[in-house]
Amino acid sequence: MKNFLRHPVVDTAIKALSRNRLQTVLTMLGIAVGVATVLAMMAVGAGAQRSIEQQVRAAGLNQITIRAGNWRPKVTDSDEAVAHQGDARESLRHPLDRLNDDVLPITFHPEDDPMEKHDHPTARQRLGDLEAGLGSAATMTFDDAEALRQLPGVQYVAGGIHENVRVHLDAKRWFTRMHGTDVMMPSIKRAWAFSSGRFFTAREQERGAQVVVLGQVVADKLFGPGATPVGRDVALWNQQFEVIGVVTSATWVVQPAAGDDQFDAVYMPYTTTQRLLNLSKLNDITVTAESSGDISRLSREITKLLRVRHGIGDNEADDFTLITQATKALTTGGLPPSVARAVASNVAELEKVTLEQLAMTMERASRTMTWLLAAVAAVSLLVGGIGIMNITLLSVTERTREIGLRMAVGARGKDVMRQFLFEAVVISAAGGLAGIVVGMIASIGIARLLQWATVVSPWSVALAFGIATAVGVFFGWYPARRASKLDPIVALRRD
Amino acid sequence: MIGVHDLAKQYHVGDHVVHALKGVSMAIAAAEFVTIVGPSGSGKSTFMHILGCLDRPTTGRYLLNGRDVSTLPPDELARVRNETIGFVFQGFNLLARTSALENVELPLLYTRQGVVKASERRERAMRALEAVGLTDRADHHPNQLSGGQQQRVAIARALVTQPSLLLADEPTGNLDSTTSHEVMEIFARLSSDRGLTVVVITHERDIAAYGTRTVDFKDGLIVSDKANDARVPAQVG
Ligand SMILES: Nc1ncnc2c1ncn2[C@@H]1O[C@H](COP(=O)(O)OP(=O)(O)OP(=O)(O)O)[C@@H](O)[C@H]1O
Ligand SMILES: [Mg+2]
Repeated sequence: MKNFLRHPVVDTAIKALSRNRLQTVLTMLGIAVGVATVLAMMAVGAGAQRSIEQQVRAAGLNQITIRAGNWRPKVTDSDEAVAHQGDARESLRHPLDRLNDDVLPITFHPEDDPMEKHDHPTARQRLGDLEAGLGSAATMTFDDAEALRQLPGVQYVAGGIHENVRVHLDAKRWFTRMHGTDVMMPSIKRAWAFSSGRFFTAREQERGAQVVVLGQVVADKLFGPGATPVGRDVALWNQQFEVIGVVTSATWVVQPAAGDDQFDAVYMPYTTTQRLLNLSKLNDITVTAESSGDISRLSREITKLLRVRHGIGDNEADDFTLITQATKALTTGGLPPSVARAVASNVAELEKVTLEQLAMTMERASRTMTWLLAAVAAVSLLVGGIGIMNITLLSVTERTREIGLRMAVGARGKDVMRQFLFEAVVISAAGGLAGIVVGMIASIGIARLLQWATVVSPWSVALAFGIATAVGVFFGWYPARRASKLDPIVALRRD
Repeated sequence: MIGVHDLAKQYHVGDHVVHALKGVSMAIAAAEFVTIVGPSGSGKSTFMHILGCLDRPTTGRYLLNGRDVSTLPPDELARVRNETIGFVFQGFNLLARTSALENVELPLLYTRQGVVKASERRERAMRALEAVGLTDRADHHPNQLSGGQQQRVAIARALVTQPSLLLADEPTGNLDSTTSHEVMEIFARLSSDRGLTVVVITHERDIAAYGTRTVDFKDGLIVSDKANDARVPAQVG
């Protein structure tokens, strides 16, 4: 650093800039405002992008769930039939109904004590019957999940088994959903946050470890709000499970609530479920697409692949059901499920429309703000740039004799040019650094004041600094070039 | 060392043409000390600018150390100025707010090899200051130096790249006669002791007498060119 400051070009620049100190500082200020605005603009843009993304994920717009069984032709919306459909049940019913009865404590459920029931020779038969009655047998396997993972455009795959369970903590108990699932689940549910602990690991999944992650609602009900359940034991199916984490919502769009499927739930490795319940099937497989717009294509690919894997003939019906957000959105929107399904499966690219609608609303707001900031940034950078040009021209005029002298002792045009360009860049870069500091503070301020998430990435800081430097080079170019073209004799004569 | 052949320089001012030089031919041998005199506007400075590679002649040839430099591109001329020529001006042309030492270092920022290392720059600049007897003023800024001292710093700056040709355009124009003679003594010594070729423009006859040879300009032509038999001792007044 010290050596750098001693370099003659730098030394000359410092001397020259301190000669017109006030002008230099004012010019830097202009650049600083511009750069700060650029940074704030990108922070707002990135923040909006992230919150859109988060909500897209929260809404599961890039998600396809493949459920075992085909309830398309036969299902009627009788309570009995949907009782075992888990998610599907949720989606097929009006949200208000859902709220009304799911918060009521359920006193009895046929699978209340599955250990006992599944040990019974007819237990699996009964489950099978139920599913068979809905269109197919329990045909989905871990190998299916592995096969889906190989499809292009697939991001994550998680197999799942879902049961209603009663979780015991000493005398307290809570009736909730149990999801036997894959380690990949937190990646799929991007809108998850762990209020304490963690999700289970690949090793725990391999071993079928008796570990459980509690949804926030379950943790609150059993341990009380604010308690730390991690490390404690709870009982399911008369088996001890160690609590390793508590999961809650990462976004304000979704709030944990009793009766919801995500946070009024417990999670464990599907291997553990399979081991304890003596099962080999999967209830469903959740697939996320790398791109939300790719859902329709991916749905067709998945259908094709599974039909081949399950050996289904051309004229036979699927033995599985694809559920995407489009079908869900249509049913919660009030369409009868059968109509919703028909629409969803016949209107191509429907998912895109749903996605775009959500994204567009968010984007419209962020775009207005971004454009506003971009305009301010452009104007202040332009003004700052003209300031740089002005101060550099002033400097060239004031130092004409000096330029002539330097040329007389051997400086070439490019040496002179470099000197003045450097001085212009020093102003803009210093203004840029100040602007970065101000911009970061402004971004935090915007986030606080407007409740608008802002993201300052290292990349945007680098870009802002790059823009500042570029402004210096651009606006310093003309004066520096003019200086380099001076005739030494004319320059030396100037007074 | 220097050979000019039929050097002419025209300036176009508006519609009419100013013939600053109308065909100058002369040769200057190495280690010669030439003084140039002549009335104002006779083309002395124009001639010297061409000798110093600051300007190019309209017609004619200029051979410097046997090389035709009258047609070199600007960057090459800059290099010749840096390596072969040292310049001293009437107005000193020192950088303000910059120490004598740093002023002397200036040509070392523009050598063919780029910027000379700081320690070496310092050392060479000190040696140049020593040659003009100003080592004790190395850290002084120009405004802390007398006119004579400033001109000596300028001479040191001209010497620092060890050129073979030293050009001075009225170096004593801004100095009183005592200091003028001091400065001329330095030029004379550099020529006789170090073998530098020195060309000095002056208006004063007694200053011109320091040269081993005096050339008289008039209206863009050389009207007389004669050797000074013996060096005239310094005469005040
Ligand atoms: N850049 C220029 N443009 C036009 N005319 C010029 C230019 N430089 C010099 N001249 C003219 O050329 C002629 C010679 O000028 P020069 O400076 O060489 O004279 P000089 O002998 O050095 O005079 P002085 O003793 O006053 O310094 C003058 O008539 C001058 O007006
Ligand atoms: Mg002159």
